[in-house]
Amino acid sequence: MKETEKRQDFCELTTKPLNVGEIARRIVLPECGATVTLDGYVRQWTKGRETLYLEYEAYESMALKEMKKLVASVRERFEISAIGIVHRLGRMEIGETSVVISVSAPHRKPAFEACELLITELKRTVPIWKKEFYVGGEVWVQGEQPQS
Amino acid sequence: MMKVTVLFFGQTAEIAGKREVEMLFAESTAANVAFAKIVEQYPKLSENKLLFAVNQTYANGDEIINHGDELAVFTAVSGG
Repeated sequence: MKETEKRQDFCELTTKPLNVGEIARRIVLPECGATVTLDGYVRQWTKGRETLYLEYEAYESMALKEMKKLVASVRERFEISAIGIVHRLGRMEIGETSVVISVSAPHRKPAFEACELLITELKRTVPIWKKEFYVGGEVWVQGEQPQS
Repeated sequence: MMKVTVLFFGQTAEIAGKREVEMLFAESTAANVAFAKIVEQYPKLSENKLLFAVNQTYANGDEIINHGDELAVFTAVSGG
C-alpha cells in the first residue's frame, strides 16, 4: 500500500464533546473536492419512548482495532482519499454528537457510499455500547449481531 | 494451568458485577470451552446473546487459549 493512501486517516475515542466541522476539515486534501460527514447524535424520541440521555462505553483497545480494520476494508472498495472516525464515550444529552464519520474524495458519490457503509458496519462490529436512560427506566441497547 | 484475564462490558459487566476477572484454564483449552466455563460461573450471562473475543479479536471458538491472553464477553454492540 502506498504511504500517501493512508496519510490522513484517523480513528479516535474521546470523552470530550465533538467538534464536527473541525473533524471534517482534518481530511481535506488537495486532490479532494468533497467531504461527506455523518454527525450522529442523541435522539429524544424512539418509537414513542422518550430518551433522557445516553451513556456510552467501549472496549477501547478492540474498538480502535475494529475501526482501523473497517477503515482499511472500506478504503479498498471506493475511490476515496481519507477517512476520519471519532466516537465519543460517556454521558451525552439529547442532540449531542456521539459519532462523526468523515470521508473525503475527489468526487462526492463514492464518499456518500463509503460513509453509509462505515456507519452501518461500525454499528455492527465496533465494540461500543450505549445505555439508554428513558422516562421510567434504563436499558443497555443491544444491536445487531456480527456475522462472524 | 494458565492464567487469563476475562473482561466484561456494559450489560455483561453489570451481570458479572465486575469488569475484569482472572481465571485459570488447563493448557491447550479451546476458546469455546473457556467461554462455556465463564458463562457457567455467571449463569445470568446466558440470558443474552453473547459475543466473545480473544486478544481484541472476535473469536469463532476454535482458538487455543494461551497463558496471559485477554478474553472478553459482551452483548451485541450498539455504538453510533
